[in-house]
Amino acid sequence: MHLPEFEYVEPKSLKEAAKALASDPKGSVLLAGGTDLLVNMKHRLMEPRRLINLKSIPKMAYIESGKDGMRIGVLTTLHEVSSSPLIRDQYPALCQAAQEVGAYSHQVMGTVGGNLCQGNRCRYYNQSAFWRNARGICYKAGGEICHVVRKPGECHSTYCGDLAPVLIALEADVKVMGPEGERRFPLKKIFKQDGKKPLYFKKGEILKEILLPHPLGQSLYLKWRLRGSIEFPIVSLALHLNLEDNNRMEQGRIVFSGVGPGPVEAFETEKKLKGASLDADLIEEMSDQVAKEITPMRTSIYSPAYKRKIAGVLLRKSLLQMM
Amino acid sequence: MKHVIRLHVNGEEFEIFTGVHKTLLEVLREDLGLIGTKKGCDLGGCGACTVIIDGKPHLSCLTLAIDAQGKKITTIEGLSQDGTLHPLQRAFVEKGAIQCGFCTPGMVLTAKAFLDEHPEPSEEEVRKAISGNLCRCTGYVKIMEAIRSVVEKQEKL
Repeated sequence: MHLPEFEYVEPKSLKEAAKALASDPKGSVLLAGGTDLLVNMKHRLMEPRRLINLKSIPKMAYIESGKDGMRIGVLTTLHEVSSSPLIRDQYPALCQAAQEVGAYSHQVMGTVGGNLCQGNRCRYYNQSAFWRNARGICYKAGGEICHVVRKPGECHSTYCGDLAPVLIALEADVKVMGPEGERRFPLKKIFKQDGKKPLYFKKGEILKEILLPHPLGQSLYLKWRLRGSIEFPIVSLALHLNLEDNNRMEQGRIVFSGVGPGPVEAFETEKKLKGASLDADLIEEMSDQVAKEITPMRTSIYSPAYKRKIAGVLLRKSLLQMM
Repeated sequence: MKHVIRLHVNGEEFEIFTGVHKTLLEVLREDLGLIGTKKGCDLGGCGACTVIIDGKPHLSCLTLAIDAQGKKITTIEGLSQDGTLHPLQRAFVEKGAIQCGFCTPGMVLTAKAFLDEHPEPSEEEVRKAISGNLCRCTGYVKIMEAIRSVVEKQEKL
């Protein structure tokens, strides 16, 4: 399958890239690792006029620990993240999540920024043009009807990123560069919970770096999937717990991937965890609670009921590991 | 949009005039005639097109040729030295780890990059490392034996 033709740009700075993107936001795409973008282009899900290669910009890949926490450049590869002793020690869940993406070569090529901004997935969408045309293209691909629910104007594609739930649970911020300059805000704000257009950025804005506060407590990432490699999560869970000495939880964050059009946080369960004492009874109660709270979206493959059950299983497993 | 692309492949410099939308896989096979690199799924799911770029395994079907400029590319043709097979290549032959041979270049190169990075891996780590390389003959047992034999020989040295 050949790539469609495009105009190729190698900006020398992030500002230059942001200006290039702002001058033609609909016709331009950003290339980082390419493991998601180029597949979508081969499938003719995207046929951009212009491809902006961010890898031509120097100093975009780094992992730096400072007084405010850790800064990770968006072009840092997943392999660099998982092999960094700093990250392994301070944010083990991030290391686990990076190791769970694709296989060895995907981790070598794939970047942190690309992983966060990966497209939502659906059985009816992530297919070749030939396959999609047999049924009539879906709403996300530019047609009228979502084939999952057979309704117009809705998109039931799933966000399947591995890093986003962990980074949200760790309360990461992002810094973005736009044509007018930089701004910083919580990572979770880039996810609009809209399957058709999952990400929110202002015109010409590009992710620059991830900022993680100093780690408090423990973190863990569990991914439920069909086979051990090259697989997106059916459901995955990032848990970040701050346990006091007497086994009471000062704070807990629970974020899922694979259950909605963006990462989904279980706020009600988090409230119940706060101040509670971590014991076997509580774990059972929280696992039932999260299964009730999470309302997985209907998607093209697994049923919401199955995902709900798995969400409970994952929380039970992760809390037991932390006990 | 066409462009002159300079590639450093297997210790040699090449200059190619080709489209900026051409993948490294297409250029290796069609312009340089290095057909040892295989085109499998062409979507990054099978690992048959794996080449080593700057010491790490990359999927050449998802790498733009223009983006591989200035980097050191090794394909399966560049692995043997003066007619002597690389220990991994020899092990694949000796252990019968080749059936149809289509996945072999990718398997060998992924294993090489991995062993260069982790000289003493566990069995589980090797399995994980080659998990992105599919063998449709399902000859994984022999492939694991071949890689393990190289690891054991390295340990003895």
